[in-house]
Amino acid sequence: MATVLSGNSAAAWGFRLSRVQCYPYYPITPSTACSEQIARWVSDGALETVTINAESEHSAASQIIAAGKSVRAGTATSSKGLLYMIEVMENASGGSIPCGFFIGNRATGAPINIWADNSDAYAMRDSGAIQIFTADAQEALDGVIQGYRIAEDLRVRLPFAVNLRGFTGTHAYEGVEIPKPEEVDRFLPGYVSTMPLFAPAKPVTYGAMLSALPYRRHKRNQMAALKNAVEITQEIGREFGERFGRSYGLFDWIGDQKAKLVVALLGESAGAGEVVVRHLQGKQGIPGVALLKIRLFSPFPAREISRALAAAGTKAVVVLDEGLNHGGVFPPLAQRIATAVQLHLGSHAPKVASVIGGLGGSEVRQEHFQLMFNLADNIAEGKASRAEPYWLDIDEDPIFVENENQVNPKLWKKWGEVWKQQKRKEKYFSPLPQETDEVRIYSRAGQGAITSAVGFTGAGILAGRQLLTVPAFGSERRGAIITTDTLVHGGGGQKIRSFNRTWDVMVLYDDTILYSPEHQALDGLKESGALLINSSRLTVKKLREQLGAGKANVRVFTVPAAEIAERLGLKHINMAMLGALHRVYEKIPLEKALPYYERHVPKPRDLSLEAIRLGYAECTDQGAKKRLKEVRLPVTEEFLAWRPEDHSQIAWPSEIEEIRAG
Amino acid sequence: MATAEERVLDSKNRHMEFTVTGRLVTARPREATDKNEVRGSRIEDRVAPSASELCAPEILAIEEVAGQVIDGIDSKAILNRMADIGPEARLFLYRPQGNVARAEVFEDPRICPEINRGAVIENLKEKPKDVSGWRTHDFIIDTKGCLGDECGRCAVMCPENAIHLMGKGKGSFHEIDPLACKGCYICWVECYRTAADCILVDGKTFDAAMRAKHFGE
Repeated sequence: MATVLSGNSAAAWGFRLSRVQCYPYYPITPSTACSEQIARWVSDGALETVTINAESEHSAASQIIAAGKSVRAGTATSSKGLLYMIEVMENASGGSIPCGFFIGNRATGAPINIWADNSDAYAMRDSGAIQIFTADAQEALDGVIQGYRIAEDLRVRLPFAVNLRGFTGTHAYEGVEIPKPEEVDRFLPGYVSTMPLFAPAKPVTYGAMLSALPYRRHKRNQMAALKNAVEITQEIGREFGERFGRSYGLFDWIGDQKAKLVVALLGESAGAGEVVVRHLQGKQGIPGVALLKIRLFSPFPAREISRALAAAGTKAVVVLDEGLNHGGVFPPLAQRIATAVQLHLGSHAPKVASVIGGLGGSEVRQEHFQLMFNLADNIAEGKASRAEPYWLDIDEDPIFVENENQVNPKLWKKWGEVWKQQKRKEKYFSPLPQETDEVRIYSRAGQGAITSAVGFTGAGILAGRQLLTVPAFGSERRGAIITTDTLVHGGGGQKIRSFNRTWDVMVLYDDTILYSPEHQALDGLKESGALLINSSRLTVKKLREQLGAGKANVRVFTVPAAEIAERLGLKHINMAMLGALHRVYEKIPLEKALPYYERHVPKPRDLSLEAIRLGYAECTDQGAKKRLKEVRLPVTEEFLAWRPEDHSQIAWPSEIEEIRAG
Repeated sequence: MATAEERVLDSKNRHMEFTVTGRLVTARPREATDKNEVRGSRIEDRVAPSASELCAPEILAIEEVAGQVIDGIDSKAILNRMADIGPEARLFLYRPQGNVARAEVFEDPRICPEINRGAVIENLKEKPKDVSGWRTHDFIIDTKGCLGDECGRCAVMCPENAIHLMGKGKGSFHEIDPLACKGCYICWVECYRTAADCILVDGKTFDAAMRAKHFGE
C-alpha cells in the first residue's frame, strides 16, 4: 500500500530505514523538510538518532565526517549549503568515510534563485563522492538505502550523495512504497567502521599530513575504490530488485532497444521525455528513439553507457544538462558522455550535441524533448551542429531558425551555416495525446490548498489511480496567490510525471483571484473542463461573462465554502473545497475517498469530515441562488487587521517624529 | 653534616637518573634501554581493551587467516573464496565480544598496498620520528622542582606533545621524551617554576645570560 509522501519525506524515510545513528544538519531550501522530518521523529522517540543543530553547513559536514568514522551518519542539503560543504567533503572521500548526503538540487546564485537545477551537484562532482540521481520520491527513498549499502561496501567505503530535483521532486507528493524495516535490516546490515576513531585498542589518526610520495599513492587508491562503485551499484541495484521488487541499474534506457536517436539526461526531467518517447515510438518516418536516464553520475559508467549505445547502434546523442560548466567545452554530463563514447567507441562513436535547459527552475517541457529528438535526427543525418551547447527556451538563440531575420545578425554571422542545415521536421511536433487529467488549485497562501491537494492525492491512490501533486513555491507572502497542481491518471502502475498545463479542473479558493490581472487564472482551462469557485456571491451569468465565448462549454460550479467553514467553526475552507472537488471531478468518487479521509484529515477530524460532506452536498452548478453576505473567517479578519507595528520592535516614522518632538 | 657519599634518588624518570652528592644534584642518562620498546609497552599497558568499548574489526590477508584458528567461521569456505580472488583478497572480521559478528571476504581496492584506506595512520604501528637531531640543547625537567599534576603547563604548551605526566598526585612530575623534543624552549619559557630551577638546559639551571642570548633581553 502506497503512502503519500513528498520527496523530502521519502528521503527522510530512507535515512530512518537505514537507521542512521547521527544526523547533523543545517536547513536550506528545498531540502529543509527532510531534516525537519528526522528531527520530529527523534523528538517523538520514533527514531534513535543523534541530531545536531549545526551552526552552518560547513560544521554539519564536518560533524557528519567525524561521526562517519565510527557510526552511520547522514544529512540533507542544497545549493549554496552544498557548496559550503564541499570544502570538507574531500576529507570524507579522502578519509574513506562512508556517510550519506541527500541533496535537493537547486540553482546557485548570483542571481539568487531557490528553484531547481543541477548546479550544486555539478559543483561537487570533483569531491570524490558517489553521486546518484533520482527521478521521484520512491527512487530517492530506495536511493538512500542503496547508497549506504554501496558506500559501506568494503571495496568502496566512500561518501555518497542522492540527488533529487528541488521542488518538482522534493516537494511533489506522490504514492511511495515504504519497505518494511526488518526487510531493510536484512538488506542493509549495521555499519562497522574499518577504523573506528575511538577504539582504544587501535588508536588511529585521520587526515594526517602526507608528503608527495604517499599522497599520490593514496589518491591512486582512492580512485580505484571509487571506480569499484560502478560495478557494485549495479550488483546492489539488482539485489534490491530481488528483495523489494524495484530493480535499479546504472541508467535507465526508456524506449526502443535499437534507438538511433537518444536524449540523455539526469533525474526528474525525464518525466516529460518519457511521454514524448512513447508518443514518437513506431511513428511513420521516425527512427528508433530512446531516453537515457542516467542514475549513477559519479563514478561515471563510461564503458557501460558506451556499450549500450553501441549495442543499440545509436547514431546521435543529444545531452540535456541542467547546469553549466563555466568555461568548459560542454557542460558536465555532455562532456562525460562525449569523452566516454570517443574513448570507448572511437570512430564508431555516435555524434554528440549538448543542450542546456531547465536552469533555475525552468521546466523542461514535452515540446523541448520534441526539439531535442529533431536535433538528434538532424545530426544523425550528418548535418552540422554546434561545437558548443545549444540553449533551451532562449528566444533570441533558438535551436531551429525559420529565416535569417528571426535572429540577431551577429548570431547569424556566427551560426548561420549551422542553422541553415538544421531543419525543423514537423513529424516530431505532432500533437501529443493527453493521457492525464490535470487539476489546478489557485488559492491564497495560508488557505490550506496544499493540505487539501495532498489529501486528494492520498484518496485518489486509495481509489486505484496514480496521482502527483506539485505545489508551486516562491517568495510569496501569506495571502498571495499560489498554485497547486495535481496530475491524475489511470491505474496500471505506469507513472506519468509531466504536466501538459491544460487544466481539466480549475479550482479557485477565493473568487477575487478571478480578477487578478497578473494570474489570468482561466487561461489554461480546457473547453471541456470544469471550474470550481468558492463563492457565495457570484452568479452563473457573471461567471460566464468572465469565461467569455471561447469557454462556453466549461461546467461552472460554486460552493459557499467560507460559509460552511464558519457554520462548523473551522479555521480553513480547504476541507469544504475538497468535498466540492469530488463533486466536480467524478472520476474519484467521494465514497471511495472517504475511508482515506477518515484516517488522514487534519484535526478536529469529525468537523473536517463534516466539512467535506457539506462541501460535496452544497456544491452546485446553478450558481449562488441569492447574493449572501460576505463571509469572513476569523483567520481572515486576523490577517486583515494585522499591522506590522504590532509585531515589531522598531520605532515607526510616526513614533520617531513623536520622539523627536519630545 | 654533609657526607661525600653519592646517593641515587628514587625517581620514576626512566631516561635520567639523579644522584645527590651533599647538596649537589646531578642528572645523567640512565643505563641505555630500548626507548621505543619502553614507550610502546607503556601504552599497551594503559589500554586494556574492554568488551563494552568500541572495537575495531580486523582485516586479514589469506596467510593470516590460514595461520590461525578462528572460531565461528567456515575457514575452509572462506579460504577457498579468498584463493579465488587472489592475493588482493581480504577477510573482514568483526568480533566485538570475542564472537564473530561479521565475516566478509572482499577484494582490497588498494593499488598501493602500503598506504592504509583513507590514508589513516595507525598510531601504534607508526613509530614516532626521532627528532633529537633537531635540537642544539638538551632539556630535562628536574623532578624536584616540578609541580606534577598541579601544573602541567609545559605539557599543554609543548607543540610536539613530547612532555608526559608521570605518576599521580604528590610525587608526580613531568618528563620530556628525548626522542620527541626538538629543543624549542617553549616549555622553558612557559614553566611557572623557572625560578625554582625546574627545567634544566644542558644540565644548567635558569640563567639570565642565557635568557638574554636567546630572547634578546
